[in-house]
Amino acid sequence: MRNWGKTQPWLSLLVRLGLAGVFLVAGLLKAQDLDANKRAVIAYELLPTNVAEIIGVAQPFLEIAIGLFLLLGIATRLMAWLSAIAMVIFISGIASAWARGLNIDCGCFSKGGALEPGQTPNYLPSILWDVFYLALAVFLIIYPVSRFSLDGLLKPGSSKVDIEGESESDGAEER
Amino acid sequence: MKVMAQKKDDRRAAARMVREQIAKEQRRRRMIWGGVIGAIVVATAGMIVWVLLQSNRAAEVFTPANANASGNAIVAGTGPVIVEDYIDFMCPHCKTFHDESDAVIKQLVAENKISFVTHPVAYLDRFSTTKYSTRSSAASACAADGGKFTEFSDALFAQQPAEGSAGLSDAEMIAIGRGVGLDDTFEQCVTGGRYLTWAKKVSNDATSAGITGTPTVLVNGTKVQGNTAAILAAVAAATGSSSPSPSAS
Repeated sequence: MRNWGKTQPWLSLLVRLGLAGVFLVAGLLKAQDLDANKRAVIAYELLPTNVAEIIGVAQPFLEIAIGLFLLLGIATRLMAWLSAIAMVIFISGIASAWARGLNIDCGCFSKGGALEPGQTPNYLPSILWDVFYLALAVFLIIYPVSRFSLDGLLKPGSSKVDIEGESESDGAEER
Repeated sequence: MKVMAQKKDDRRAAARMVREQIAKEQRRRRMIWGGVIGAIVVATAGMIVWVLLQSNRAAEVFTPANANASGNAIVAGTGPVIVEDYIDFMCPHCKTFHDESDAVIKQLVAENKISFVTHPVAYLDRFSTTKYSTRSSAASACAADGGKFTEFSDALFAQQPAEGSAGLSDAEMIAIGRGVGLDDTFEQCVTGGRYLTWAKKVSNDATSAGITGTPTVLVNGTKVQGNTAAILAAVAAATGSSSPSPSAS
């Protein structure tokens, strides 16, 4: 790709905003009903109930925070790593629930908890979505430099103090 | 030569000044950067702690009449086998389960084989625009005070509102209460929201007990499937009798 150097920051912007949207929507939905999110975490039966309850309360706010960081483009690479770790946790959680034959709502953009009798869980699509988000996060880990990011604004050499080839910080990652 | 050396020194000095300036600029940027991240991290942590404290703060909770020892469910009957039922008046499958098993459960209670312990949890508040789950749970506690919990629950399930609707209004629930023989005390109890905090307690206790969905049925503390046959079998096993109670028809 000849224009990779030019397209990459725009592509990274797209990925960054997409991932930010995912985290913000998921986090805000969960924050509206924290008790339901506690039950969603408990339903995985992976943690002691009291630990699961604390995670259930903290998780939505952490998701919102990651979403905001990504939206503004602050510490993009670190946030991409956190996103990737979160996705790996989600994927393993769902896979383990599936393997153990649990009949639960994964709590992905939904209320979570045990399913009512007669409802079948939707594990595979949820895992595939999470794999897709994981791919986005990995892309951002590799190419964290994006347009319209606070990272770019705050990085030395990217604006007026551009002397003596200091702009290599941006150029190096463009390859 | 001397002039050139002098010029070289000047250039070095100038370069050093520029470098120092860049370093200063970098430090400033790093500080802003750190400040922004720090502020967001602190704000997030603060929000989590605040919510945790908020949810653990003990609001005043009244316990209705005919409640169990833990004060988080309403008991019908005095039989030896404990059948616990976690329901949400908004949950369609709770109605299905109720309609299917009601007659048999009432008979088991009447034969004094079981105590039927109902936890009216409010898990599905987001499925109505008016927190019907919480309001109906609270109203059922008011009905328990008037000794008509079972009758009132039956009537609420019979008139279960659709998911996503506004649910039954307080006035409608009061009318239903009057229909099953409840009086002015019931009306004041519903209007005054006396048991709204109780509904929250019932839900929190159920969540902490690992009840993640409704309906959930326990016989002597063990989860069983929410249907008549499974309950009859579990009750029979718990009673030690080989002949399960004949099904009421």
